[in-house]
Amino acid sequence: MKYEVITKEDFPSFVNGLLSEIEVVGVKMKEGKFHYDKIKSYDELCLDYDVTLIPPKKYLLPPKETLLKFSLGGAIQVEPSIDATPRVILGVHPYDIKAIELMDAVFSDSNPDANYMERRRNTVIVGVDCRNPSPNAFCPSMGTDTTETGFDLLLTDIGEQYVVAIGSEKGEELLKKHARTREATEADLAQRKAAQEEALAKYKLSIKAAVEEIPELLEKNYDHPLWEELAAKCLSCGSCTMVCPTCVCFDVQDDLELNLTAGERFRQWDSCMLQGFAKVATGENFREDCTSRLRHRYFRKGNYMLKRYGKLGCVGCGRCIGACLAEIANPVEAYNRLKEGS
Amino acid sequence: MKPRLAFFDFTGCEGCQLEVINFEQELLDILSAADIVNFREAMTERSDDYDIAFIDGAITTERDVARIKEIRERAKILVAIGACACIGGVNCLKNFYPMEEVLRIVYGESAHYYDTIPARPVDAVVPVEYYVQGCPMTQSEFVKVVKALLAGKKPEIPNYPVCVECKMAGNICVFEKGETCVGPVTRAGCNALCVTNGRICWGCRGLVDDPNTDSEKEILAKYNLTPEEIIAKFRMFLGYSEVAK
Repeated sequence: MKYEVITKEDFPSFVNGLLSEIEVVGVKMKEGKFHYDKIKSYDELCLDYDVTLIPPKKYLLPPKETLLKFSLGGAIQVEPSIDATPRVILGVHPYDIKAIELMDAVFSDSNPDANYMERRRNTVIVGVDCRNPSPNAFCPSMGTDTTETGFDLLLTDIGEQYVVAIGSEKGEELLKKHARTREATEADLAQRKAAQEEALAKYKLSIKAAVEEIPELLEKNYDHPLWEELAAKCLSCGSCTMVCPTCVCFDVQDDLELNLTAGERFRQWDSCMLQGFAKVATGENFREDCTSRLRHRYFRKGNYMLKRYGKLGCVGCGRCIGACLAEIANPVEAYNRLKEGS
Repeated sequence: MKPRLAFFDFTGCEGCQLEVINFEQELLDILSAADIVNFREAMTERSDDYDIAFIDGAITTERDVARIKEIRERAKILVAIGACACIGGVNCLKNFYPMEEVLRIVYGESAHYYDTIPARPVDAVVPVEYYVQGCPMTQSEFVKVVKALLAGKKPEIPNYPVCVECKMAGNICVFEKGETCVGPVTRAGCNALCVTNGRICWGCRGLVDDPNTDSEKEILAKYNLTPEEIIAKFRMFLGYSEVAK
């Protein structure tokens, strides 16, 4: 991997340079929290944050999206609809980059998703190493506190400068075009490593099982009383999945106009925690009770995804922990409880 | 032949019918696909020959009971519109007082001219095919139900809590802002309108089908609401349901 260095003084002109040629979304402050939004200038940008409310997945899989428009009057006409505005997502933390890698695996698998793939091709990811992790994060347990892949550029704050890891030609081109940089020295890279280690020491939560153990840990505990205990408090509100960077399920519906001859097919975020998720046309519901839905979510994250895509479905961002009012969506507590065998 | 639609008001502010009148392009589209034959708030003509009856308001008098039964007999399809008709809504606040007292508070010395019974939603008296929830009813859902009726299809009405739409809107949870709401047990479909605009959810769209109200009550208690405050929160719109008793 190639590394460059850009001073913090020069960084704003890099961002503003990007803004002159492409849409840029980045992390902004919102009532004491952080969220991704379109930025108009460098000044709006926040690069030292803990975690955003909603992960950057919203730019790759929008909450609601039109898939096609149709017209039934006379000859049936169907027009696919893909909004793939080219954009830079600026300031993505490594755990969210890992989550996007997982989304790439899901949406490119067997029957590639045209809308996702085109948007992904038009998306540049400029990551930033997380300096001050959220108190709910457990990235080190998941191996996602840093990353060597999945980005076009990755910044690490080393004080007065950023070390920029170059992950793609596209990233390198943008950097060359819009920024004044110099090649990183051994000393810069040592500082980069030190900064990453400093952040690593700040994580408060950890899972007592190794990542490789999790799939089997779940399989052994399919009938563990834990699932029922958690389900008794579960609101089936879907908050844990809506904020999850690796939750990618959606529901597809048709919406007809009042003239009943034209309309559109759209998809919107769905969630395996919602009652109707596994309900099929005959009215049968494969996961009618909350216990089976809740257990399914854990198995999906900690077992099924690993088997199918070779990647664990959890990146340790801890958003679910923060979003769950009933305080039950806590993977750290759940896995530790299973590991302790209680 | 175009389906014949009728609108009837019972006890409520009639704001849901006003929402229909407030439609612009949609109302023209509805009129080209259906005939409106009875709509006291919007037109002079009245016909008792209709296919689909839209009911606005709760049932609160014996006269209401007889009248809704009559409408039910005439209509092929009955649609409750708005919180009062769908779940009883704010009218049910009176159910927690003796009826004589309620009459006296409202009508004073003239109380003996009136009768009143505990407020109830339309489906407590007659079967209802479809519901357009909300206070006022959610306009987009009204259009959705009308389209489904015209197409002979079942409308897709969410059976999940407001939290889903709140998260999709990117809102900060009201509990994180030191407030509380009943969104975690309330049926979505409003696009989390109130929270998105800086308010809280009061549950005007009714409960989801299988709400975990025990957990919601525990959460409200954890956020320092007294048992009385918790009950009061549920009584605002959900007075007719078990959770508010």
